[in-house]
Amino acid sequence: MREVFRLPDVGEGIAEAEIVEYLVQVGDKVKADQPVIRVETDKAVVELPAPFSGTVAEIPHKPGDTVRVGDPLIIIETDVAARPAAPPKEAPPPPAEREAPEAVKPVPSARPPERVVPIAAKAAEAIEREPGKRVLATPHTRRLARELGIDIATVIGSGRGGRITDDDVRETVGKAAPPPPKAPTAAAVVAPATAGFDFEKYGPTRREPFKGVHKRTAEVMARSWSTVPHVSHFDEADVTELLKVVRQERPYAEERKVKLTFLAFLTKAAADALRKYPKFNCSLDETTGELVYKEYFNVGFATDTEAGLMVPVVRDVDRKSILEIAGEIQELSRRARDRTIDLEQMRGGTFTITNVGALGGTYATPIIVHPEVAILCSLRAKERAVVKDGEITVRTIMPLTISFDHRVLDGADAARFMTHIVTLLQDPMRMLVEVA
Amino acid sequence: MVMGDFAQGTQVAVIGGGTGGYVAAIRAAQLGLEVTLVEREYLGGVCLNVGCIPSKALIHVAGLKAEIEHADKLGLVTQGTKVDLSKVILWKNGIVEKLRKGIESLLLSHKVQVVTGSARLTGERSFDVESADAHGRFEFKHLILATGSSAAEIPGMTRDGELIVNSTDALDLEELPERLVVIGAGAVGLELGMVYAKLGSKVTILEGLPTLLPMLDSQIPPVIERSLKNMDIGLVLGAKVSGVKRTSSGAELSYTDADGDKTLVANRVLVAVGRRPNTSDIGLDKTGIKLDKKGFVQVNERMETSVRGIYAIGDIVSGPMLAHKASYQGKVAAEVIAGQPAAFDGVEVPSVIFTDPEIAVVGLTEDEAKKQGIKVKSGVFPFKALGRTLTLGQEGMGFSKVVSDAETGTVLGVHIVGPSASDIIAEGCLAVASASHVDDLTLTIHAHPTLPESIEEAAEQVEHRAIHIFKPERKS
Repeated sequence: MREVFRLPDVGEGIAEAEIVEYLVQVGDKVKADQPVIRVETDKAVVELPAPFSGTVAEIPHKPGDTVRVGDPLIIIETDVAARPAAPPKEAPPPPAEREAPEAVKPVPSARPPERVVPIAAKAAEAIEREPGKRVLATPHTRRLARELGIDIATVIGSGRGGRITDDDVRETVGKAAPPPPKAPTAAAVVAPATAGFDFEKYGPTRREPFKGVHKRTAEVMARSWSTVPHVSHFDEADVTELLKVVRQERPYAEERKVKLTFLAFLTKAAADALRKYPKFNCSLDETTGELVYKEYFNVGFATDTEAGLMVPVVRDVDRKSILEIAGEIQELSRRARDRTIDLEQMRGGTFTITNVGALGGTYATPIIVHPEVAILCSLRAKERAVVKDGEITVRTIMPLTISFDHRVLDGADAARFMTHIVTLLQDPMRMLVEVA
Repeated sequence: MVMGDFAQGTQVAVIGGGTGGYVAAIRAAQLGLEVTLVEREYLGGVCLNVGCIPSKALIHVAGLKAEIEHADKLGLVTQGTKVDLSKVILWKNGIVEKLRKGIESLLLSHKVQVVTGSARLTGERSFDVESADAHGRFEFKHLILATGSSAAEIPGMTRDGELIVNSTDALDLEELPERLVVIGAGAVGLELGMVYAKLGSKVTILEGLPTLLPMLDSQIPPVIERSLKNMDIGLVLGAKVSGVKRTSSGAELSYTDADGDKTLVANRVLVAVGRRPNTSDIGLDKTGIKLDKKGFVQVNERMETSVRGIYAIGDIVSGPMLAHKASYQGKVAAEVIAGQPAAFDGVEVPSVIFTDPEIAVVGLTEDEAKKQGIKVKSGVFPFKALGRTLTLGQEGMGFSKVVSDAETGTVLGVHIVGPSASDIIAEGCLAVASASHVDDLTLTIHAHPTLPESIEEAAEQVEHRAIHIFKPERKS
């Protein structure tokens, strides 16, 4: 019998995913738990295993398509014999069938593993079309269903004789996707602002779907910007001495196949500042009105990849050596760029560093990765004429910015936090003495 | 053609400039894609150059002649008609030329690069084009295969363009054959058989199947048989052609039917036994493109073949070999490439045969619906009961028929044989595609006096309440 493998809920409120690649073709035999499709969710590419064995009967999407949780991914002809005769037409579908899409609710576990086998598969099969039943819908309604990623055969028509209306299709979307489309996503916030704009009026334009990592970034950033009152604080660090240390220790690191970077030192300095000023490592629980102090120090670092911005997280930076941190950053960036990074490797951050130094610029005002409360930005270090002990000397100066959540932190907090980091960066010996 | 050793890259390549291919190219260009179209012979393909368009021109001429000859009873007295075949052909060619130029200029306006030559795939991302003066390699991101079909032949009856001709030759004949034998009573055989009969040939049509037009609603073929008889066209069903012998005056054709072996004398034999998809000689073997059991390219509803990035449309994929199916699928393929949610998702493809009277059908016949286990209710309305038919000087052969689902009232099919059926069917196409209720047809106001009133009346007759006929429900 035909079983429908639907996009399972992969956790943390992810409502949709983009299909990267099908690993099987129509006609292929598949075994349960064999990876059959690669989808991009959140910021990772995840391989999903087939929930049952059989032969691939139909592939309703193609790479690049966006699918919502509960949408069919692959239709598999399983080896199990078909059910006996179809129920009589007159019998109204039992309530369970009508509510079938609801069964695709998030698995109630805090951190589901990535390879989730959909518990929805069984329930989904119940809304399979009766054999021979015609779908009564106009070409326009069919197109609407495709646009919304709904298999029109699964829509229950409210019209005369079971005709499917546009509203029926729209309601099905609401049911199939756990977070209702009215949720204040970035798209929903942006859409009215650009509605009615005639972009073509002044010249030709080109439209591209806005999806994948970029769309996810847009949602996270829009949410952060609209809920968090951002304040940015600027400072400079004289990194002349530190750069000498970096250069000096590089060969040693290279022998261990690690590229020692300034970023690793900065991460270590930030770790120490976070321990000293734990408010920078907390989150505001907006529902309970409590500050949540985290007793772990996981630093995310923004990585520019072809697919867009990704933020892999180095865990427990307070307990790792600078060399270890450098090695992890190296490995995680590689995986982010290759799209082989696991979702879990981009979660659980308590603070973020974004290093745009390589690309240039003097100052920037980064947006906080909500629900973190601060983000540190390092920019390009340049040689500058500096007055030191009454004399003008050439020093290498690095500009630094920290953006903080002014609900949780004040300007004085930021000044103290930043000063501590600047002190460590200016004096590598201090880092040796002070940093745990 | 600018070509050298370097492959030319293109975002979308279309192989075949027929009705499917050029429409796909234009739609892709409309959606902002960069398109290269390869055509080996002529833009517009079979349909425009040697199919639908030229045959309709000839059908019009032949029909006009017949109408004029019968106009005396309308009070229009003429002194006979004379056919200047070379002038007819010239006129017809002029139409084709004009339309082909139109396509050329449309493609130019949409900045579609048109390459003349035969394309052959060299892999899943490239093909070679060969033409008289150049050859070169093209690499593509997306490819739409729209290579169409060719007339099928009967073994032992190879086309020579003189005695044994195919439909292409039959549209360009310089003189009228005295006796024409048509093999195959499909759309092409019937249409051209009637044209030649009206122009003055003695026509006999041989059909291998035991029934005429078996795929149509069973009430339609008898109307056509009657019309063939009126035109003095011989129709032999269940005829197996066994051979052709050349004689001084033409050919002697031998065949076998239910009564035994027979012979027929002909000055010309038109072979019209269907078409085959053009899937060989295009290098499909260099790709993983899969064919089905009947030799058609396997595609899904998005027109995607088994190779990602390669699409196929029109005559080379399964379904009726009709231009409007090809162009619809061409638009779907182009839109899918552009990332739109398009699909060829079960919209019914209408069929039209330009016989006299015309046949036009869409959706399920009564028999097909019953086979699917659907309880059917139909309404039939004859054209002779329609005022407009008579004012056109026609007796009113044929009818419109609406087939509906007895339980839901959904219009499942519309079947017409009669004057201007090809135009009237448009309403049926919309009704079936939109899953209209029969009431949608009866409650739509149809202008009077027009032929489409027959649809309204046929829909009324589903409930036995057509105004202009008296045929109450039989109580059983």
